[in-house]
Amino acid sequence: MRFALLSWSDDVLRRANWTNSPVPGSWSLAKLLACLLGCGFFYGATMGCFGGLAGAEQWPRQMLYSAVKVPLLLLVTFAISLPSFFVFNTLVGLRSDFSVALRSLFATQVGFTIVLASLAPLTLFWYASSPHYRQALLFNGVMFAAASLSSQWLLRGYYAPLVARNPRHRKLLWAWTGIYALVAIQLAWLLRPFIGSPGRPVTFVREEAWDNAYVMVLQLVWNTLFR
Amino acid sequence: MRDWLLQLDELLRGEATSEERLGTGLLNVSARNLAILVVVLAATYGLCMGSFSLLKEVPPELVGSSGRILQMLASMVKVPALFFLTLLVTFPSLYVFNALVGSRLRLLNLLRLLIASLAVNTSVLASLGFIVAFFSISTKSYSFVVLLNVLVFSVSGGLGLMFLLQTMHRMTAYFAGPVPTAEASTLSATALSANDPATGPTTDETVPTADATPLELDDATSADATAAAPIEDRTSNELHKVLSPLDMPEGQVFARHTRTVFRCWLVLFAMVGAQMGWVLRPFIGTPGEPFTLFRQRDSNFFSAVFSTLWNLLSGGG
Repeated sequence: MRFALLSWSDDVLRRANWTNSPVPGSWSLAKLLACLLGCGFFYGATMGCFGGLAGAEQWPRQMLYSAVKVPLLLLVTFAISLPSFFVFNTLVGLRSDFSVALRSLFATQVGFTIVLASLAPLTLFWYASSPHYRQALLFNGVMFAAASLSSQWLLRGYYAPLVARNPRHRKLLWAWTGIYALVAIQLAWLLRPFIGSPGRPVTFVREEAWDNAYVMVLQLVWNTLFR
Repeated sequence: MRDWLLQLDELLRGEATSEERLGTGLLNVSARNLAILVVVLAATYGLCMGSFSLLKEVPPELVGSSGRILQMLASMVKVPALFFLTLLVTFPSLYVFNALVGSRLRLLNLLRLLIASLAVNTSVLASLGFIVAFFSISTKSYSFVVLLNVLVFSVSGGLGLMFLLQTMHRMTAYFAGPVPTAEASTLSATALSANDPATGPTTDETVPTADATPLELDDATSADATAAAPIEDRTSNELHKVLSPLDMPEGQVFARHTRTVFRCWLVLFAMVGAQMGWVLRPFIGTPGEPFTLFRQRDSNFFSAVFSTLWNLLSGGG
């Protein structure tokens, strides 16, 4: 199973045909889901082990929480963003390509987690090198940004035939990216902590979780500039 | 119900507004069925809007009150009411002015077209409702949720009105007759005007208008590979495949007066809709205040949006 997962991941990175076109009996969706869960779980667990290296208590529980939360973040964001994307595709006349577009987007999500998983050793190395929580936060931010940029490359490859068929796909891709980012940022904010602050008790979500990431950023900017 | 949903699906895919289906000059959709779907879709969005009150802390005196549930129920009624009341207020003037400038769209056909447009509008709205519900439940910032809802209404309203304009253009094809070549499109005839006051009554169904220019949706249509080919080289089947409900068919133009009436009406519809929303508020409900079906009449929609935006940007939350 482990090697199968590696083989499927390799297929995703190389955009093998089965990853975005339906092949009867290939269990392609199940394979993609397995890759996403496996790789997301792996990077999440890596994120959550910061407390272990810093000597915090209950760090295995934080590892488990973070491992669950990374795939959860990706799958829930995908599910929330999908209905509007479906309607937009239908409205601009791209419904016939929707199946391929959907599989391409999902395969890209999988690609994102594969890249994240490949960056996990770097994250571990950083944790081992620096005990500072804020630096760990920033480093993980950089890792997510790197994985996002890399997966954009993958997405462009998957979408190239669709864009060649109808340039309107490019605009919808921008719309998808905007909607996905809008939801993902807020959901990541709700599901925090992913790393686990050493001085705080280990919880799945923080007590003050129900708030708005964008409002917090605006307040931060306003306070920095004008107060 | 399945048939109704299929009908909505045909509308969204552009099949119901394809040139073949509009061949009789009529939009062959059931206004009654679509109106019911509009109510369901708008109520779904109302549920998403009203969910803001859920899971929020309330003052001790409001604990145990059913205000949150009532707010959700009220929003489920108010959002469909918002659309239909706006239509009720603006439809008579549209029909009268349309008839005045010589439009051939009859009352029922125009109403059917407008309800189809509302169906597209509310479909987009309901599809974005999941995102709105997610933010409504997960955020405490009232200002943010208000502005998010304004944005979602603007996007869905814009798409609904684009659908309306493009379907009008397609109906033009029937009233104006076939457009044989791309060159002819520059002098193409009017859509719905047989008696343009500028040119007087005509015997055939077309009125050449030198100043009439095609309304562009965006560059997507022209970017289509097939759209680059001369129109006579394509079969109607190919055209059918290419055009989405938001696409502008080549060479179809409105008469100047009809176009002006419709543009004015779109602005009027948007403004009445916005103010209607203000009159029917609260849709979201402030968690710290007791439930009220309507608020006192003061201010207006636009000043309220401006002050909410200022509140959010100035760190008020």
